[in-house]
Parts: sequence; structure tokens; C-alpha cells
Amino acid sequence: MRFLKLWHYIEANSRGLILLDIAYFVVLTPLLLFVKAPMLLFLLLVAILLIFKKRRGNITLIVVALLGFFAIFLSLYGAFNFLGLSRLKIFVELIIYLLLLAVSLQRLSGKINLYLLISPALLLALSLFFFKSIFMLFYLIFEIFILLWLILSYFMQTSFIESLKMAGSFFALSLPWVVILFIFFPRISFEHASYGFHGDNIRRTGHDGKMYLDTKALLVPSNRIVMEVSFPKRVPADNRLYFRGSVLYKNMIDHWEALPHKIKRRFSPKHYLQNGMVQKEADTIAYKVSLYPTFKTWLYQLDLPIEAPKGARIDADFEVKLSKPISEVQHYEAGSVLNYRYGKYISKDVLKYALDVNATRNPKSAKLAKELILDYPKAKERLNALLNIFKEANLSYSLQPKPLDLNHSTDDFLFNKKEGYCVHFANSFVTLARLAKLPARVVTGYKAKHSNSVKNYLVIREKDAHAWTEIYIKEHWIRIDPTTTAKRIDIKSAKLLSKNSSNNIKGELQTINLYILYWKYQIQSWILNYSHFRQMKLLNSLKDRDFALKFISSLVGLIIFSILLMIYLRRTPCPNKISCLMARLFKRLKKEGYTQKTGETLHQLFSRYSSKDIRKIEDIQNIDRLYHQVRYSKESYRFKNLRRAILDFLRKKY
Amino acid sequence: MNFFRKFISIRRRVKQRATRFSLFVVLLMFGLFFEAYMHNFNLVYIALFFIFALAFSAGPVGMRNIGYLEVKSLKCGRLFANQEGKCFFTIENSNRQSSWALEFHTAYSVKKISNIKSKSKIQDSFTITPKSRGILELSPCKIESLFPLSTVRFVLPIDIDCKTIVYPNPIGERLSSYLNRQKSHFGEEMDFDGIARYSGSESASRIHWASVAKGEMAVKSFERLNESEALNFIFEDCASDDESRLSQLTLWVLDCEKHKLPFTIKMPNGYYDSKKESIDEILEALALY
Repeated sequence: MRFLKLWHYIEANSRGLILLDIAYFVVLTPLLLFVKAPMLLFLLLVAILLIFKKRRGNITLIVVALLGFFAIFLSLYGAFNFLGLSRLKIFVELIIYLLLLAVSLQRLSGKINLYLLISPALLLALSLFFFKSIFMLFYLIFEIFILLWLILSYFMQTSFIESLKMAGSFFALSLPWVVILFIFFPRISFEHASYGFHGDNIRRTGHDGKMYLDTKALLVPSNRIVMEVSFPKRVPADNRLYFRGSVLYKNMIDHWEALPHKIKRRFSPKHYLQNGMVQKEADTIAYKVSLYPTFKTWLYQLDLPIEAPKGARIDADFEVKLSKPISEVQHYEAGSVLNYRYGKYISKDVLKYALDVNATRNPKSAKLAKELILDYPKAKERLNALLNIFKEANLSYSLQPKPLDLNHSTDDFLFNKKEGYCVHFANSFVTLARLAKLPARVVTGYKAKHSNSVKNYLVIREKDAHAWTEIYIKEHWIRIDPTTTAKRIDIKSAKLLSKNSSNNIKGELQTINLYILYWKYQIQSWILNYSHFRQMKLLNSLKDRDFALKFISSLVGLIIFSILLMIYLRRTPCPNKISCLMARLFKRLKKEGYTQKTGETLHQLFSRYSSKDIRKIEDIQNIDRLYHQVRYSKESYRFKNLRRAILDFLRKKY
Repeated sequence: MNFFRKFISIRRRVKQRATRFSLFVVLLMFGLFFEAYMHNFNLVYIALFFIFALAFSAGPVGMRNIGYLEVKSLKCGRLFANQEGKCFFTIENSNRQSSWALEFHTAYSVKKISNIKSKSKIQDSFTITPKSRGILELSPCKIESLFPLSTVRFVLPIDIDCKTIVYPNPIGERLSSYLNRQKSHFGEEMDFDGIARYSGSESASRIHWASVAKGEMAVKSFERLNESEALNFIFEDCASDDESRLSQLTLWVLDCEKHKLPFTIKMPNGYYDSKKESIDEILEALALY
């Protein structure tokens, strides 16, 4: 605080250097996250030399320069060839290092020149090559504000608060321009560059393309977000929130696999709908997905995907895949049909795989299936009977079940262990269905929960990885989620799920957490990933009168807010609160034709004023008395009373 | 409406000059534009738009900072050629906001003013060393400011008289030395000329007591009495060339003023009497010779 108080007494050059040091500290902070260790050590050395004010002669500067070049060489060692330099990232990195070296030498010389003044802005501009996160967005705004404040502080040579207020008002003045330009400045549809600092490229697990029944099983009770989905209106009902991943046909005892590549598929419904697939248009839905790196090729879409994002393909089993594993966050628009009917053109080969089962492995189940076939000749009834068997089997949902006998996994699950989680339910159901001559397959992906949504935003976490089944009846596939047949959840699993539920935050805190995620997603979508496409969409939406009205009102509101903020920050503080308060009263009196004459006391003025209107006598006398008490008797505690009396008087209509 | 009217009048008064920092801002914006456009970096767009908006807003902020200022007076003390002198000025800020980072410019000097508080006046001075005598044109007189971002230099020309007179450099023989050398000219009481009638205003030392004793009020009269009450400087006799003569005469005028001695100066173009003209008028005549 002492430093702040003495701030405007600091000599101009020293003050300039201090301000510059603050500017460099602010712009260098994010750069330190990716600067290589040798360069970090070099910067540390420069900082030490500056802090200890060691005498810095020419020799020191030459040594520092040599060390700087050596640090640059070590930092770029390996990439230091012409091929490396052709890559923009390395090239920018080299420029930053050279700039840092030059700035260090200039700063050590202790003289302010043009170069030293403009370099913070250059470093800021270059650092933006490497960051594109929400954190950096806020930090960038902070950086710009601080740099603005430092410039104003240098010119104003006044108190810390006054220059801060000026910076605030100036910033408020420019804010509407930034917003308007950001929205309307024409964009092109180039892809967002992919290089840069990737702080959030952790591999997401969960769905694996295979379904293991042993310890490798699909169990990741983690809260890490895999996907964020934004719907145009409301989030669909809970029973529709199945995000399709892979479709598995082959039971390999300890795991399930997709169809072998040799099986030829009769069609690939890319970008078009099959006849009869959608009953009504209202069943289709378009939504936006942000998928975090999974290092797999699947793009997850609501069951059943009908519109794949650019670069992805939908295959015959309606899996949506990219050609390369996802190593960076993917933002895509997708389309699905929530109430569908498909499967008419399925090939015999595929059906053969969907019925493939080894009855000898699960004799009890095979026996049960045989009875079902006899009792329920109609497929639909048989399926219902199957579901009833699962419901009545008294199965428990457990995240830590006893290991199954993999050679007799269905029998062991249904008749012995009677506990497991989605993979065990799906495995048993498909096996039993196939034994009952119902073509069946396993589908894995994510099952989102409505409770993880706010407004039109939905979060899908690693722990939402799920497996369900599809049964082929009357020439179409029906989704059946056998896990829902579980009678109970065991205590341990309930605790585990509860413990992991949104980082142990309950109730309102969970809602707050969701709202934070929601706003983070909105910022991500509308600011960081704002593009030509979104711009066109926004401009098209302006044709809608209601939206246009809302949009224009928001902009006008922002402009008014900025102006008010600017006025508030630039208002001249009252040097004497009593005089300022009285000034309002005098203004009123003047309006009514009463001004203080030369030689007239305030008491005389008040008497003259109130004598004309007896209704005002009491109030004016009260103000007169309070004023004299506050002003001359030093009874400052009565100021509040005086204030109230004056405001009441001004408000009253006589 | 008043706000806009005032702003338009300020806009007309205040001139704007781009600085080297504005060139840097343009280059920076150009670079950011390419960085943003090529890679669709929205963060870079935001930085670009902030820089643009701030640079754009700097115009009104800077104009408002300087536009309400008015130079109420600009007066210089006696300025002599090749000697440092002071000029004084008063600036009034009629704005509700303080004005920051100002510079008061004349053709010969720059005075920095850190700020002028709202609705207040400041009085300040600057030093000046004129090279030669005569009329000194201080214009262009103006107030400048780089506030707020130093990308634009805001210039407020001052429409008051920025002229002043520079007197000749007062150098040469001091008056005391001159008086010693020219003692007879100053008058001696020994040169008795006779008795004159007492007018009532003469000094008591000049009363001729012998006549008083006889009942007649008379005073002594001296031959050089009139000459001794005023110094008569003659331009041609002062020095060898005109500038030296003017400098010498200026020095003597100042010495005479200091010792409250009356004097006359005979110039080729006129005659100046300290009893008839003020010292400043005489000095001005010397300056403009």
C-alpha cells in the first residue's frame, strides 16, 4: 500500500521502467507455459540481474547476449533446420525467443526506447498463436486492460486509483465497438489452426470400440467430460439420450467385436434418409457437439445418426467415424432421428452374425430360450418375455461385481452371480436373444442423463459410457437397454456413483457447476469457435423479427451500460460532501426564483424562501438547523439526517 | 444536443497529428488481421478489435482532454536578446474532467503540464532566450497532448497574441562608471550663477540665507543646475556601432530605472525623455530601432 501511495512521486524514468516491467510480466506469463527450459533459465538470469541491480556494463551485456543465443539454440535444438523453420509454430517460437533476447538486453541497459515500448504488444500478439482456451480469452482481456492502464498511468502521473478509473472508462467506451466488430466483421471459412498450446488434450476413455467382460470392461467412474452437446431447444427426454458409438456382433468369450471387414454391406446411408425410417419430421433433431480427444475414430451422435459432420461417414450400422483418431477437440453439427424404424435392407450375412451363438457355453440359458421359442412363437412377444425374465431375475446393478465365469458368462450372470453393470446386462441379453432366435447385437457408446443438463446444454462424462442392445424384429432394429431391468443397485455402487456425482457437489452446488459448464460452453461456441458459418446463421436469424428485436435490444443495452459505466468512472468526486448536497437544494431554490443575495446569510435565504409558503417552513427550518449543526458545530454524525431531510424536501410535492 | 454541439466545436478547434506510434498500431493491426484471418483465431480477432476500438476511442477522449482548455493570458517579462527571460501564461480548464499530459508550446519552448484539474486555472511560466532584439513571434503557440495513447498528437492552437518585444542585450559600460567619467555633466554646486527668486519647491539647501536675512526669499542658482537633474545620452556617442550603442543605452536605461534617475536619450530618429515616456516605451524604441 505504501508503494501505491507513493506511486505518483516516483521519478518519471524509474516510473516508466516500473510500468514497463509490469507490462512485460503480464505479457510474458502465458508465454512461460510453452517457452523451453533453457530460455526459461535465461529469463530467470535476466530477472535476477534486474532485481539485484547488479552493475551492468558492456561486458555483462555481451555475456548475457551470448547466453541468450545459446539458450535459443538449446531451446530449438532438433527443430533447428530449414525444414523446422518452415513450420509456422517453430518460426513463431524463434521470433519470440529473439524478441525476448532483444528485450532483455535493452531492459538491462536501463534506457527506455521505442523498441522497449512496443515489444509488450508484439509479445502479446505472438502469444496468441499458441493459446485458444477460455482461460486465455479472459487473460487476453485482462492483458489489454492492464496494458491500457499502464499507458494511461504513464501519461497521467497521478494516483493508482485515478488512472485505473480512467482505464476503466476508456475500456468501457471501446467495449461496444469490440462486440459489434466481433459479430459483424466478415469471416472466412478457413479451418481453425490446430497448432498451439494444448493444455486439455488428455485422452478420454469410456467407449472403446470393443466390449470387454473381464477387468478391461467398460467401467470408468470418472467425471471427466467427454462431450458437450447443445440442442436447438430443449434436451430430449432421458430415454432418447443414447449416443451411438460402435456396433458389436461377435462374441469372443471375453469380449465383443464388430463385424469382420470381409462382410460386405449392401448400402451406406451417408447423408440421406432411408424410406420409412422417419415417421414424422418432428422426430429429427439437429444439435452441436464438442467432443474432446478420445484418440478413437468414432464421432458420437444421438441414436440414430442421419447427418454426419463434414469429413465423417455413417456406415451401414449407423456408426459415425472419422478416418483418423481424434486427437483434438472436435466441434461438429450433427443430425439424428430420435424415433426411427430401420433395418429393411439388412443382408443375410449380417443377420447370420446377429444370430451367431454357442448354445453349449450357456446351457441353462439355451434351455430357457427353447422354452421361450415354444411359448412365444411371435418375435415381439418373445422379446417381451425376455425382458420379463431379466426383470424377474432379481439382478443387481453393481460397479464392482464378482468376476464372471467367462466361458459361461450368461448363465453365470443370470442364474448365479446376478450382478454386474451395463456390459454384463448387454452380453447376457444378446446371448439369450440369439438363443431365442432373435437377431441381436450390442451397441456401445454413451448414455447421457437429463440431470446433467441445463437449458439446452448437456454434459456427457466418461462415467456415462454405456452398452445396450438392438434386437431385429419385423425387419427393423429395436433398441433395448437391459440395464434398466436391474432390480436394485448395490450399496457400494450407489455410494461410488454418488461420490463421483459432479465432483461430490450436491444439490444447488451441482446446478451451479452445471451453469458454469453451460456458460463455458456458450463462450466456447460463440466466441472461441465463432466462424463464418455461425455468423451467417446469426445473420439469417435476424430475419426473425423477435430474435432481431432481442438482438438489437441487447446491443443497445450493452452500449447504454458502457456509457453509464464510463460516466460513473469519470464522474468528478465531490470535494466537499456538504457543499455538493446543498448544491442540489440551491438548484431547486433557484428554479423557484430564490438565489442568495450578496451579504445574505443562508439562514436569511431560507427564511425568505419559507416565508412565502408556510407549508415549507417546518422542512426548511429543519434543514437550516441541521446544516448549521453539521457545518459549524462539527456534528458530522448529523450529516445523514441532513441528507435525508434535503432528499425528502426535494422529493415532496407541496 | 449541447454535448454534440460542444463536441463539434471541439472537433473544429483541435487538430490531430499522427505519431510514430500510430504507424506501429497500423502495422500491428495489419499483422493481427493476417494472423486472425489466416487461421480463424477468434482470440486474435478480439485483440485486433480491442486495439482498433481503443485507437478509435482515443480520438474523442484525447479531444475532450484538450478541447475545453483556454489560454487566458500569455505575458512575458522584459526579454533581452541573448538573455534568459520568463513568460507567464494562464490556462483555464472549463471541463468537468481533469486534463492530462499537456504541453504548452511556443516557437521557442515547450512547457510540460502534468494536469489541470476540472473547472480550474493554472498559472505557469516558461523560460526563453531570444537571439536578437525586435519583435519576437512566439507563435505558433499551442497546447499539445499525447494523451491517452500517444498514437495521436492533439493540438489546440492558441488564438491570443503571441508576440512580444525583445530589448537589446544590456551590455556595455555601467552607469556608475559613465557618471564618474562624465562627472561635470552631472552638475557642480561650485558653478554659482547668481540668486533667483524662491519658487517654493526648491530644496532647503539651496536657500540663500543672506537674502532671507535681508527679508527676501531667494535661492542660489547654479550654472549647470538644470543639466545635473537629467542624464542626457546621445546615441552616436555611446559606442562604435548601432547594436553596441543600443545595448549600451539599454543598460543605462535599466541602471537609471534602478537608481530612479531621470534621463534623456537623443536618437537619430527622435528624442526620449524619461519624464515624458515610460521606461518600457523607451526600451521598446531601442528594441525596434
